[in-house]
Amino acid sequence: MKLSIKDQIGPRCIIKEDGQKIYDEIYGSLKNDETVTLDFNGVSQFASPFFNFAIGQLLKDIKESDLRRLLQIEHLNETGKLVVEHVIENAAKYHGDKDYRKIVDDILEEQAREAG
Amino acid sequence: MAQKVIQILTLNDGVWDFQQLFNIWSQVNDYFEDVRFDFSGCHFLRPNAVAFLGGLARLIESRMGTVVFDWGTLHNIRVMTNICQNGFAGAFGYPLSRWDGNSIPYREDKTLDMNGIMDYLTYNWIGKGWVRVSSRLRDAIAGKMWEIYNNAFEHSGSDIGVFSCGQHFWRQNYLILSVVDFGRGIPANVRTFLRQYADEVLVSKLSGAACLKWAFERGNSTCMGGVARGLGLDLLKEFVRINQGKLEVYSNEGYAIIDKDGERYENRDISFEGTVVHITLRCDENLYRFRDESEAPF
Repeated sequence: MKLSIKDQIGPRCIIKEDGQKIYDEIYGSLKNDETVTLDFNGVSQFASPFFNFAIGQLLKDIKESDLRRLLQIEHLNETGKLVVEHVIENAAKYHGDKDYRKIVDDILEEQAREAG
Repeated sequence: MAQKVIQILTLNDGVWDFQQLFNIWSQVNDYFEDVRFDFSGCHFLRPNAVAFLGGLARLIESRMGTVVFDWGTLHNIRVMTNICQNGFAGAFGYPLSRWDGNSIPYREDKTLDMNGIMDYLTYNWIGKGWVRVSSRLRDAIAGKMWEIYNNAFEHSGSDIGVFSCGQHFWRQNYLILSVVDFGRGIPANVRTFLRQYADEVLVSKLSGAACLKWAFERGNSTCMGGVARGLGLDLLKEFVRINQGKLEVYSNEGYAIIDKDGERYENRDISFEGTVVHITLRCDENLYRFRDESEAPF
């Protein structure tokens, strides 16, 4: 499967709604262990909400190693690559079940330390 | 009906100036009647003040109050010319439309207008010729700035939208963008989010500075729904650091600054409901190249 992002979305890959559209298109194929190519030819502007939804959320169900094997990205410029790498790294570390009680305790402890 | 007169003094973009803006906010915040802004003591108005006052006026109007910008009291011709040119005066009753000069337009976005905002950032802000950048780098910088707008719309809960203004300062050779919302504020959002999981009493002890610091860390987000987020502020931080610029955020009682000296988070005496993101970029062309565009180090 090969998708032209410019044809699907336009020259700006910015908002989460557009990212969700791409996710919906490619999720089934990737889940079936099929290769998917995203062609970013003609796309010039990028932001993280698009990639969080298009690619980051794939990591909820697909292992990072499988995703990197199955998802081919073409003609993505340096800026886009940087955002994608950040998004994949962030999503791979993401846990919906963070221990927020401990997080609050840690922040308060640090706050107390800084207050002296 | 009594009209409350607010004196608008010279407003720059230092900490003191922001305190004046938050003072003005607190003077009108619970005032549901008519407000008049008097500019007789104003000899300079930076874009942060323009965006803030514009948003504040819309906030008052949304509460059924009326706002009069008393342009007759503004005697400083340079200030008047600037706010006519950037469209601010025209948006508030002055009978002159903006024109395309050296200013960066004042902008109001009630909803997240992706193309409108991206065109503004791409062509009116970074791409206006202040700094010679390739179209690729111009697009990259505009994409980073988008994260500010996205955060404002996604998290603030503002009913009246987002207000922005920018300016290029020739002599100092830097470029400013100020984005303001009158939503809940980042610390308030962080506390609301954490209250779902942790003890209410403990969460209420979190300072504005601590909440901002948490929000600025990569991967931290108050968004629910199982999709990893929390990259916007981190990407901005990284960009500002590389370009030796300055990113300041005022939100509720918290203040964050990221600049060449690192990142610092502080608590302020004066609080306001909302967020101001104020970014200052240096227009040194050597700082604005991709690795493959020059011998420059990045």
